[in-house]
Amino acid sequence: MAKLILLLLKLCILFFVVHAVFEDQVGKFDWRQQYVGKVRFSHFDTQLQSSKKVLVATESNVFAALNSRTGELFWRHVDKTGPEGNIDALLHHAQDAVLVVGNGRMLRSWDINVGGLNWEMLLDTGSFRSACLVGQQGTVKHVAVLKKTVISVHYLSNGHQKWVENLPEGETVDYQTVYSGGNGQVFVLGIVPHSHITIVVYSMEDGEIIKQVSVEAPWLSNIPASCAVVGQGMLMCVDSTTMSLNTLDLHQQLQMTQIPLQSLGLEVDPDFHPSLVSHQPNPAQKPLSEFFLQLGPERYLLLQLNNGQIVTLRDFKPALLASFATTGEKTVAAVMSPKNKTACSINLYSADTGRRLLDTTLIFTVDPNGGKPERLHVQAFLKKDDSVGYRVMVQTEDHALTFIQQPGRVMWTREEALSDVVTMEMVDLPLTGTQAELEGEFGKKADGLLSMVLKRLSSQLIMLQAWIAHLWKLFYEARKPRSQVKNEVSIENLSRDEFNLQKMMVMVTSSGKLFGIDSKTGGILWKHYLNNVPKNAAFKLMVQRTTAHFPHPPQCTLLIKDRDTGLATLHVFNPMFGRKSQVTPPALPQPILQSLLLPLMDQDYAKVLLLVDDQYKVSAFPSTKNVLQQLQETASSIFFFLVDSSQGRLSGYRLRTDLSTEQVWEVVVPTEVQKIVSVKGKRPNEHVHSQGRVMGDRSVLYKYLNPNLLAVVTESTDVHQERSFIGILLIDGVTGRIIHEAVQRKARGPVHVVHSENWVVYEYWSTKSRRNEFSVIELYEGMELYNSTVFSSLDRPHAPQVLQQSYIFPSSISTMEATLTEKGITSRHLLIGLPSGGILSLPKMFLDPRRPEIISEQSREENLIPYAPELIIRTEWFINYNQTVGRVRGIHTAPSGLESTCLVVAYGLDIYQTRVYPSKQFDVLKDDYDYMLISSVLFALFFATMISKRLAEVKLLNRAWR
Amino acid sequence: MSQRGSVPLLWLFIQAGLVLVSCFTDMETGPGAGVSTQPNGDKFKIEGRAIVPGVKTQDWVSTARVLVEGEEYVGFLRTDGSFAVNDIPSGSYVVEVVTPTYRFEPVRVDITSKGKMRARLVNYIKTSEVIRQPYPLQIRASGPHSYFMKRETWGWTDFLMNPMVMMMVLPLLIIVLLPKVVNTNDPEMRKEMEQSMNMLNPNPELPDVSELMTKLFSGSKGSSKTASSSSKGSRPAAKRR
Repeated sequence: MAKLILLLLKLCILFFVVHAVFEDQVGKFDWRQQYVGKVRFSHFDTQLQSSKKVLVATESNVFAALNSRTGELFWRHVDKTGPEGNIDALLHHAQDAVLVVGNGRMLRSWDINVGGLNWEMLLDTGSFRSACLVGQQGTVKHVAVLKKTVISVHYLSNGHQKWVENLPEGETVDYQTVYSGGNGQVFVLGIVPHSHITIVVYSMEDGEIIKQVSVEAPWLSNIPASCAVVGQGMLMCVDSTTMSLNTLDLHQQLQMTQIPLQSLGLEVDPDFHPSLVSHQPNPAQKPLSEFFLQLGPERYLLLQLNNGQIVTLRDFKPALLASFATTGEKTVAAVMSPKNKTACSINLYSADTGRRLLDTTLIFTVDPNGGKPERLHVQAFLKKDDSVGYRVMVQTEDHALTFIQQPGRVMWTREEALSDVVTMEMVDLPLTGTQAELEGEFGKKADGLLSMVLKRLSSQLIMLQAWIAHLWKLFYEARKPRSQVKNEVSIENLSRDEFNLQKMMVMVTSSGKLFGIDSKTGGILWKHYLNNVPKNAAFKLMVQRTTAHFPHPPQCTLLIKDRDTGLATLHVFNPMFGRKSQVTPPALPQPILQSLLLPLMDQDYAKVLLLVDDQYKVSAFPSTKNVLQQLQETASSIFFFLVDSSQGRLSGYRLRTDLSTEQVWEVVVPTEVQKIVSVKGKRPNEHVHSQGRVMGDRSVLYKYLNPNLLAVVTESTDVHQERSFIGILLIDGVTGRIIHEAVQRKARGPVHVVHSENWVVYEYWSTKSRRNEFSVIELYEGMELYNSTVFSSLDRPHAPQVLQQSYIFPSSISTMEATLTEKGITSRHLLIGLPSGGILSLPKMFLDPRRPEIISEQSREENLIPYAPELIIRTEWFINYNQTVGRVRGIHTAPSGLESTCLVVAYGLDIYQTRVYPSKQFDVLKDDYDYMLISSVLFALFFATMISKRLAEVKLLNRAWR
Repeated sequence: MSQRGSVPLLWLFIQAGLVLVSCFTDMETGPGAGVSTQPNGDKFKIEGRAIVPGVKTQDWVSTARVLVEGEEYVGFLRTDGSFAVNDIPSGSYVVEVVTPTYRFEPVRVDITSKGKMRARLVNYIKTSEVIRQPYPLQIRASGPHSYFMKRETWGWTDFLMNPMVMMMVLPLLIIVLLPKVVNTNDPEMRKEMEQSMNMLNPNPELPDVSELMTKLFSGSKGSSKTASSSSKGSRPAAKRR
């Protein structure tokens, strides 16, 4: 019976806590954008004229099919990150796509119509070199994979190995390419650098070596970079030292014939390595005898090999990019040439003559805030009149894909840079004129009753005007058909809504492209590509000035730091428009160790950013006189910390008045035993509403709310499962005092930590029980508060009480964050990104170290859930229902103007934005609020009282008569 | 004056602490933990098949993945629903088939160093408990995921069938109908009723609403009335008025 009551109680609590998405809310507040990453290989599906698929394999280890009409995904397969999932090659034939994955470890064939796997083959170890489809008598049935020392041929239908052969002289020869011209022979080309080329010819049937020849080529070092196979098996190589083309007949293999470029009347740009582009429309047939030769960054030549003679068909100058495309029997060459500063034109040329095809010009507008075009993917098709039409997919430096149709209509754009968001901020939108007017009214000082009244009236009039205009617009639009009404959000009409639910998401991507995204619709409002961003840069985005200080524009500062050298640059911009700010950031000649945004403001309301260089000198931005004076006044209370994980050193510094620094404390974690993995502080914009918790006996347990507390996570260097451990250190960042230390034995990382209010939640892998576990630490001051007005790290004599409890979590996790609301009244939830793509909203209530094992009257009074070792994952708690987020890497939470509502953005491969209500919507009417019911009840009651009043009157009258 | 000066300073101090916390460290992600310590690099393969009853495999395989121990090893489903995850060293792993639409139960697979396989139910609490599952894995979907809550709809029947409403309506009926059926003026019946009322009210100390009302209306006079005569007491009070 007691058990039953317990269960009932549990259910009750669960019911109370449950918050989930309702089915009719799908897509109302949330949106998702799916990305694939920077495209490495792409193929247009050409089986059918009407086929709409573009196959892309990307550097993020994703293989996907895009809809070429809309740019949406048909399907997408996300492999493991890192080198094991790296896609080395993509070969496409009919409805099969063959991928070589993980440095030649795996061969996979996909059915591109279904999006499912046909077969998967594990290959022998050995680093991958090249792969090609092998055709015979007009049909393609095999795929050849060349590795460092071995070549294998597989059936395309089932992946089984037809034959595998060790390459001769594998130690000396560096085999680099494999080629097949469709005549039952497989050519393997290898090289001994600065000596000769080795050509091994295998028979397709049984893998027997037909021929093995060496040809002198002392100048050649890399075949794929400087050679191409052209026409009837002619190897064409370009030698940049002697400026000549070298041809070699693979079937006869006598000698290289050298053709100096000067004899063709050509010259190579200085310091440019010329390259060749050839085209093999069908793997069962020989390649075309026409090829491109790139002679300079803006110069291409279309050449033809004709009976050993090289003929120049056309000289393209200037030309940025060139590419071949085949449809049916026709092959065309597409060449992109710059037109003016903002546009490029693309033209089609007949591949065999070099003649320009009429009416094939296509204009590609270059986004001034984007990157330069990098690659051209051409889809050619036959029109009804048998002429060739085409569409192009232009890939630019900033990872964007633009699909263009003639005569320059952009069908879709995919900003693939967004597949790798590094950091983001949500910035409030500016107020509209009317809103600003109202705000201004409250902001100004009182100047007489009459003027106040007048001001009030005028602002009310303005509001009325705006309302009428709004009504008029509604009425006007109601007459138009639905499809014409566009609710496009543009930068011009951006304004804050009533509850500040719509914000500008400023996203920084690893490619160096910045985006401004409207959080309501997901539309990209601005983008800005930063050119010279180093490859391994670390970014930190800070909001220096919000939109609250009109007429000063809002200002964001992005710190870009090269991880290797430590050198940093600042990019200052307006988060509403993405434009670079007029303010010139200081040049930073020294490597930067640390940056901190102070709550101090200069006279223009910009928060002060302090940068600490490797000489421990501090510079301020902005560094006006006002700021320096303020800094001098407050220097004694500015502390910061530095982490050196390689030496296991954590040190605290304080600022001196002359902007030099002085070390205050130092904690050394011995690197032989453990290493510092992460250091987490609290969010600066976090508010805690209640100072304590009311216990069952009506006493108060006060929280230990130290804003300077750091949670330091360490992992043992010993990875043996019996001896590995993780440690949590809670350190006061001002004094260096270690508040608490916890060690989890037989555990290892990756550790995910959330640090907020008076608690730290962390997740780790328990090697003993082989499961993921959560642990929560809560800090309390006790029953009395030492100094209730203000918290000072220097004056806290009592150590806090520490409570800790651990739980089993039935899944591994990818990332974790806590919800954040305006005033911190709403209860907290943990948002947990799972590898399956779900984002679980777990009430913090379940991670409470005061959960009792035996329930008592008091714990029931406190609404504590009885302790259960396992936390449960309920799909109803997934805030993103079936809109899974691939490879979720970070979750950003931001408060909205409504206390109940927290805005959530999860980013990884995809971006998902939604709102969560951790304590349900207590401050607004729910969207399913039944207005009909309440009004009908009201009316019914009203009439009932009227009638009963009348009846009572009649009765009274009757009684009086009696 | 000094008093006034010290408060903002302290406040600033807190703020400085906040700043401290937002400091810039670029060591957010720790190094991956996937360090394979096995010197003998024997790698094995986990095979199985996922079935969604009543749904063609073509319709769901493109959204499905096989995750072994989180995302440590990833496999994909063939067009017939079977899968194989390669390159797994010996150990114990939780294998999950994940799709956004269907729910599959995870399975724990143990691989010995010699490559013997065993599949069992996942039990995170009793980790050594073995309830065997077939190997090669046969994972059957247990239905679609339920992501949504049902909206509370409002209907007359819901309202009427509500226990609170029932509790209110039934006594009302009794109060209205009973006096008509039973003759309350009969003294025997009245006695019987009183007795039954006593039975119903087992806690005589509890203050009674009707008694309170009586007290209120009858002033100080009615204070001597016993608790048990609550129903009786109210009637004289009404009469008096």
